[in-house]
Amino acid sequence: MPIASVPLSWYLILGAALFWVGLYGLLASRALIRTLMSIALMLNAVVLNLVAFARFVEPARTAGKTFALIVYAIAAAQAALGLALLIAVRRPHSTVAVEGTDVLNRAPRVVDEGKR
Amino acid sequence: MFEQIVFLVFAVFALVAAIKVVTTPRISHAVLWLMSCFFGVAVLYLLLDSPFMAGIQLLIYTGGVAVLIGVASVVLRGAAREAQRRVTHSWPASIVALSLFLLMAWMTLELPLPEAPQAANPEGSLALLGAALVDPAGYLLPFELIGVLLLVLLVGALYLGKER
Repeated sequence: MPIASVPLSWYLILGAALFWVGLYGLLASRALIRTLMSIALMLNAVVLNLVAFARFVEPARTAGKTFALIVYAIAAAQAALGLALLIAVRRPHSTVAVEGTDVLNRAPRVVDEGKR
Repeated sequence: MFEQIVFLVFAVFALVAAIKVVTTPRISHAVLWLMSCFFGVAVLYLLLDSPFMAGIQLLIYTGGVAVLIGVASVVLRGAAREAQRRVTHSWPASIVALSLFLLMAWMTLELPLPEAPQAANPEGSLALLGAALVDPAGYLLPFELIGVLLLVLLVGALYLGKER
């Protein structure tokens, strides 16, 4: 197995960059789908950091990769639940014009209207 | 040297793809950029001597999460189309994200981090990982809990998505 010659700090900086790009998307986006994508980006950056630390600091142990696997499970859960929530938020407006889009700004009101 | 070039190429690829995800106006394009970003990160896992994580990344992120979001964008086609007209660039958000990134990059460069891995990957590290996941003294409890979490989540997602 070759020893990787890329310094650890490069991976950490890339992870930070991906994470804050995801945060920018989360803050700036008006579309609920895009916020889901931003959260996936942020989780992905976290996994990159975990795997890099696992490789550089403790190659003989398994803690880092185990945490990475658990974050993967959380990411899959987030995507599945996010899709279900999108559909649930959208349903009350399925017959009218698409107002369920920028739910990010006024999610409580939209959901309440659906319940009434 | 070769590895550094490969790292830089795929790091820039992943970063550009990530920026396109949050800036491109079309949701369908954003999903494809998201897949590209995940693919670029998977190549970096190969560079980290972690082919298992690279495979998991391709299976779960590119094949699962991104495809699921793509399906969501098709199911909610009207919503996605409506949202395209409302893509806005937010200066406050970009200032917050950029300044926090610069802070974090500065901290990373200040820390005494290893330049190279402290040891080569042991043979059969995947078998070690598998054994640790089902070892009561290792990570059996988190492993079982994550299984229960996924089950509860499936039921919850079915309930939320049910017609009523």
